[in-house]
Amino acid sequence: MPLDTSAYSLALLRVDGRRWNELRRIHAQIRTQAAADGSSYLEMGHTKVMCVVNGPSEPGPRRGATSGGGGGGGQSKNAEVAVNIVIAGFSSVDRKRRGRGDKHILELQSTISQALAASLHTHLFPHSTINISLHVLSQDGSLLAALINAATLACVDAGIPMTDYVAACTAGSTSTYAANDEGADPLLDMNHQEEQELPGLTVATLGDSDRVAVLVCESRVQVSRLEGMLAVGVDGCKQVREILDRVVREKGIKMIQEGTVERGVGLNDMELD
Amino acid sequence: MASSQHVLLSPAELAYLHASLNLTPPIRPDGRSPTQFRPLVAETGILPGTNGSARICFADGTEAIVGVKAEVERTRTRHDFPSLDEGTEDDDDLDDNQNDVIKGDNDWVEMTVEIPGYRDDDAGTVFLSVMLSEALLADGEFTKRLWINQRFHWKLYLDILLISPPLSYPLPLLSLTTHLALLAARLPRLKSEGDEDPLFDDDWAAAPYLYPRPSEKGSKATAPAPAARPPVTLLVMAVGNNIIFDPSKEELAVADVALAVSVGESSSTTTSTTSSKPTAMDIDTEETKGHNLRLLSVRTIDPPSRLTPPGIPNASNSAYGANAGVKDTEKKKQQQEQARTAESEAVEGVWKAPRGGAKTLVMATMVQKVLEKGGVADEVLDALDGVDLN
Amino acid sequence: MADRRRINGPVGTTNPPIYDDAPEKQSEGVKVTRSRPANVIRKMYLKTGVTPSASGSAYLEIESSGNGGSGLKLSCSVHGPRALPRSTPFSPHIILSTHVKFAPFATKQRRGYIRDPIERDLGTHLETALRGSIIADRWPKSGVDIIISIVEGEQDRETSKAQGIEAWDTMNALSGCITVASVALADAGIDCVDTVAGGVAALVQDAGNDAAPSIVVDPIPSEHEKVLAACCIAYLPTRQEVTNLWFKGDLPASDMDVYTQLIEKGIQASKSANRVLVDCLNETVG
Repeated sequence: MPLDTSAYSLALLRVDGRRWNELRRIHAQIRTQAAADGSSYLEMGHTKVMCVVNGPSEPGPRRGATSGGGGGGGQSKNAEVAVNIVIAGFSSVDRKRRGRGDKHILELQSTISQALAASLHTHLFPHSTINISLHVLSQDGSLLAALINAATLACVDAGIPMTDYVAACTAGSTSTYAANDEGADPLLDMNHQEEQELPGLTVATLGDSDRVAVLVCESRVQVSRLEGMLAVGVDGCKQVREILDRVVREKGIKMIQEGTVERGVGLNDMELD
Repeated sequence: MASSQHVLLSPAELAYLHASLNLTPPIRPDGRSPTQFRPLVAETGILPGTNGSARICFADGTEAIVGVKAEVERTRTRHDFPSLDEGTEDDDDLDDNQNDVIKGDNDWVEMTVEIPGYRDDDAGTVFLSVMLSEALLADGEFTKRLWINQRFHWKLYLDILLISPPLSYPLPLLSLTTHLALLAARLPRLKSEGDEDPLFDDDWAAAPYLYPRPSEKGSKATAPAPAARPPVTLLVMAVGNNIIFDPSKEELAVADVALAVSVGESSSTTTSTTSSKPTAMDIDTEETKGHNLRLLSVRTIDPPSRLTPPGIPNASNSAYGANAGVKDTEKKKQQQEQARTAESEAVEGVWKAPRGGAKTLVMATMVQKVLEKGGVADEVLDALDGVDLN
Repeated sequence: MADRRRINGPVGTTNPPIYDDAPEKQSEGVKVTRSRPANVIRKMYLKTGVTPSASGSAYLEIESSGNGGSGLKLSCSVHGPRALPRSTPFSPHIILSTHVKFAPFATKQRRGYIRDPIERDLGTHLETALRGSIIADRWPKSGVDIIISIVEGEQDRETSKAQGIEAWDTMNALSGCITVASVALADAGIDCVDTVAGGVAALVQDAGNDAAPSIVVDPIPSEHEKVLAACCIAYLPTRQEVTNLWFKGDLPASDMDVYTQLIEKGIQASKSANRVLVDCLNETVG
């Protein structure tokens, strides 16, 4: 169904009722799975992904389609970050089966792998592999951003040393490329419908800084609009980072209260209620 | 594949485990009784975008998600054999009679299994999905539920995802999750009649379940198929004469034989073809509320124990002073003899990978244990009844 | 995924030619029924050493049902034991790899060159059946490849169109695969605890009157009105052990006797096949 963008200029509300700078509801959990070293579950609107991290561990026999990034595998001085994405057949409205060799999935895998390899302290684990396996249960736009956020959370849970959160989100523009509308506003966090029609990009930043870790733009957009979109996107990433940070802290507090972990030395100033 | 995955246990550990499982009663490493299952967490209806979904998490952390998705598809008539179709088209005016002919086709169900780290055409993955679909399609009743009219049918996609790394052989987990997802699956209510293009009710609350609930007394009377349950596949293994259910990875590593037994439950109205006293049976099920179980499929699983490294008895281990001070020629002869006995005879406390197959009696008892009244299949189905389907 | 490495048949559908004689027979209402006694398997021809370049090979042919259908023709070659490639981790046992493939022309429905799930599944069953029979720890660090090509699958022209029959045919194919692979392994000189042979038994409902279902060995699905359940067994006769069991069907749980009888009949079929197998091996040696 084509998206009716004409309504936006009237009420300044998007199809799902959000303002231009509003994120969708982000709900996340970490440590969802006992068997893995690290795991997370993340919802961005109706996009739902699960992430399981195993490692750093000795690299097993190479099998299947894992895309390596940030190092050349077992022999290198840095740990290899192997990302494996499974997009469930039931995740989209119309069932679409993607094979393992799907180019789109391979690209997502290498993007995530490289982004995380830059943030994780892979030099601490030579000759080893960090296996990140991502499962997409439901998709409604901003898939790459959700995958990056989920992978970050799972890496935090796995206790792999890293520089900072890699928080991602998408940004778009209110009118199509063809409309060539000079006064187009930027949009934050696009859903599936908007992604189909409007130009958009995915941006991930490193923690609180403005340093961009990932920037993917796969649609045609005027250069003049790009700057605005990027600024909104980076701003959104900061909001996402806050949310991710809160999830991690809340889980940490809960674990201390339950007595599953010892209260650390540096945590005295942390409030436990 | 997952079943033949390498277990990091030494021959001594394997021998110890095998010996303790061979005791009467067997002592399992986690203290369970032979028929006891590991605790699990189950929920259904987790994904609103699917027709039915379920998630099960075992206590050891293995987790699976199953989503069922249905799409309307035009039924292909077979053109290559016109003689088949002629018969049905000739008497179109006997329409109401025709409508009763509900036919299913195994192509209407497509099952995929995804295990992280394994290719989807890996022999083990294919084995799992063939095994699960075999049980589902065995009675030929399931595909009839997907029939809409002469021209259309539902195409059912079952996507089975293993979320966690495959720690233990994932068969029971995947089977139980599929069972729950199918129980929770609903198809939109049909509004159109006869052979016209299907039109469905938008109201999801009115959508009937794929497997009608026994509690809905009203709908049960009108439902085309009596209340039945999707099949469950159980993993059973034997060590010596002991039969052990739901083995963990370590236990499977010393199994003499492992079987996957698929059990279905049909309603009591199905005429049992060979039962000697069907009436007595019916009364029995009514009273005891037992399950009317049916055996759908049995498959041998290649136990990983055959790939474990063997231990060396001290007698032939030179590190323990065997053969010290014996002349060379004699030594050689002795060694050969020892090699022969080491290969053919078991030494107490020294692990040797099992060789050969399983005795028929043991195999028959394994199936018997699953099926007997109040047996494990009964228990599992009762336990699954307790899962809240929403 | 399309296979681009070989020349494939036409992409579109083609209607197979329909021969006149077959439907005529059907219209007369003459349905071929089983003429053999219930506990006798069909005649089979078994020969070793058909592929000189392989370390062991065998060919198996089972007579056709005489119903305008085809029999089962299998050829198996065994390569090895040979050293594993250097990259493979250490294995204390011989590594079996089984490969079952229908020739593209073996069945009524053309098969592609890439193995489909049924063929992969057959390969797994075969591996389980053979792994129990060979003495795997005599060859550490080595591997053996067992390649079976089904030259002609067992399928009847008229009846294959009926649903679900193909599923029962795979059981017969598996039992043939097990027997032929066992002979080829022996021909290759790989030590086994015993010769394993496959046998099939089925619970069938015959046409016409509502006679009670009976159990037959080596069933031809087209000869019976309905197959209720079937099992394929790989049996080691001297050790009296089963290495692979595949049962499928629909049996009420209260009828464990029927299940037990079915298994017994399957073992009996396997023993019969084993006699042919032993004769064939004696011939090869002598």
